[in-house]
Amino acid sequence: MPAYHSTFLAEEDTNARIIGNMAILPLKTTFKGPALPCMESYDIIDEIIDLFRANTFFKNFEIKGASDRTLIYGILFLSQCLNSINYNTNKNEAIKILTNLSLDDFAIPGDIGFPLNSLYLPPNNRNDSVFLRQYLSQFRQELSSRLIGRLYQSNNNVPSKFWLAFGRKKFMNKAL
Amino acid sequence: MSSINTPAVVMDNGTGFTKLGFAGNDSPSWVFPTAIATRNSNSSSTTNTSSILNKSSDLSSINSPYTSSDTSFLNRNKISNNSIHGNREMSDLDFYIGDLAIDASKGPSYSLNYPIKHGQIENWDQMERFWENSIFKYLKCQPEDHYFLLTEPPLNPPENRENTAEIMFESFNCAGLYIAVQAVLALAASWTSSKVIDRSLTGTVIDSGDGVTHVIPVAEGYVIGSAIKNIPIAGRDITSFIQTLLRERGELDSSLKTAEEIKQKFCYVCPDIVKEFRKFDNDSEMFAKYIVETVSHRKVEIDIGYERFLAPEIFFNPEIASSDFLTPLPIIVDQVIQASPIDVRKNLYKNIVLSGGSTMFKDFGRRLQRDLKTIVNERVEASERLSGSKSSGVQVQVISHKRQRNAVWFGGSLMAQTSEFRSYCHTKRDYDEYGPNIVRNFSLFSVP
Ligand SMILES: Nc1ncnc2c1ncn2[C@@H]1O[C@H](COP(=O)(O)OP(=O)(O)OP(=O)(O)O)[C@@H](O)[C@H]1O
Ligand SMILES: [Mg+2]
Repeated sequence: MPAYHSTFLAEEDTNARIIGNMAILPLKTTFKGPALPCMESYDIIDEIIDLFRANTFFKNFEIKGASDRTLIYGILFLSQCLNSINYNTNKNEAIKILTNLSLDDFAIPGDIGFPLNSLYLPPNNRNDSVFLRQYLSQFRQELSSRLIGRLYQSNNNVPSKFWLAFGRKKFMNKAL
Repeated sequence: MSSINTPAVVMDNGTGFTKLGFAGNDSPSWVFPTAIATRNSNSSSTTNTSSILNKSSDLSSINSPYTSSDTSFLNRNKISNNSIHGNREMSDLDFYIGDLAIDASKGPSYSLNYPIKHGQIENWDQMERFWENSIFKYLKCQPEDHYFLLTEPPLNPPENRENTAEIMFESFNCAGLYIAVQAVLALAASWTSSKVIDRSLTGTVIDSGDGVTHVIPVAEGYVIGSAIKNIPIAGRDITSFIQTLLRERGELDSSLKTAEEIKQKFCYVCPDIVKEFRKFDNDSEMFAKYIVETVSHRKVEIDIGYERFLAPEIFFNPEIASSDFLTPLPIIVDQVIQASPIDVRKNLYKNIVLSGGSTMFKDFGRRLQRDLKTIVNERVEASERLSGSKSSGVQVQVISHKRQRNAVWFGGSLMAQTSEFRSYCHTKRDYDEYGPNIVRNFSLFSVP
């Protein structure tokens, strides 16, 4: 059993917009942004949190479609979140740190600083590029907010060491 | 001469552990590391042992003198001229085996050696002393009164058998000797399972110990040497993977000893790692706490989490722990059977037998069977599509049983307790008459 793929691959044709070669999937979120609302109970953010721990053990991953790229991006962003906090960070501090990380200037496919340009196509035009940046900003905020829920599920003062330990792993040997 | 009543001695010397006992028993009387601690040449042997003497109650017997052995093996070729009445230098007696060896090596005066590497004896001098101690200090028997059943890995060179015979007959004077292939004994051990009906010596043995995992096809008692595969993943890799996870999480103790204990007490094989993570999310009882005493005798509490299922997962997903060996065990098993003669394949799939300490994880057999079935069914379906005709299917069955952990030893115990056993051995008299190369061949026998 190799690394896990996105279950949204199957719905790509009907349910997603593709920018470059990355799927723009609906999100369950209250953060502002261009994502379509997700009608299902399980969205790509749930999936990222679900597959993260298993997939971080894998160096090899065969990309099967645009949703896999959304998944990869999410997993790598989640790693970055874990690496931005430590065992002493309490929940309030974590919210601040991860909100900043989500909104901070970040690179999107095609930008010079984007580390996965060998696997991602740049947006076709300026509009798509603006759209993608707004989507990813919304996506990052939602992901880090749900992650905080997980990290501080049992204690508001210390994050789960079981989750934090995964910050050491590098899915596909890559980092954002 | 050995009387009709003395039970045969059964010795299974593995890379990591030696299993030692008498035929007819259900389990070995001793299991200890195949390790020997020898005195460093620069430290004096007169001021020996006192520092470790009080560490273990067994030591009193270890130090008592015994005489019936000559083991000056400086020149192996000449050993046939040595009599067992020769006198051994005191310093040659100054060694420990098993757990005592590990204790002794913690001090400055002894160094620890493992005479068996990858299943094969590499240091004959150390191995002879190891056997000597096994016979006289643990079994406490007179070798001239007993027949011996020893085990060997698949594809053991015949010279190794001859060396073994030389030591057994010339140094120890044992009454008779049979050297059995470990995989064949493991098959015999599985006859205790209720799933096994026809007591055949055809099957695929998965023997996973400390250092390597062997996948060995056996047809009617003969190993199909060309199809064997070894996997560089076994017990110690699982232990060190657990250690890494403990370290990455910052647990207060992450020694190998702790990792080893966690492995044996808490680990199991799961059906699917993503689902298993979810299970831990929904049920905090899946996590455990474990108290360890550190070297400095402090008690510390450590948490146990996902390593419970992730560690044995490296058999099925080697990629999670290694970057150079990536093929899952079920695929290797399939390849081994596919590389065997076509007329035995059906029976090799039907009788896949587990053996060795590292197959002890709960549900190891179940997962292997499921994954292998998937591989086989895909191939059957593909060939049905091509040929357009329905195939009769392939039965895949993995046998787990109660004696799996020391299956090789137990199989040896079963065989060596039969009344025919002695007639299949080579005796001391045969050896003296025909020389060491008689042990190049042993006839196969099966238990009635
Ligand atoms: N209950 C258990 N669960 C998991 N692993 C175990 C258990 N008991 C023993 N082991 C592991 O099994 C290994 C030893 O197995 P075994 O005695 O079959 O090996 P061996 O015969 O010395 O090696 P080999 O056959 O490769 O020469 C060790 O790594 C030990 O940690
Ligand atoms: Mg063994």
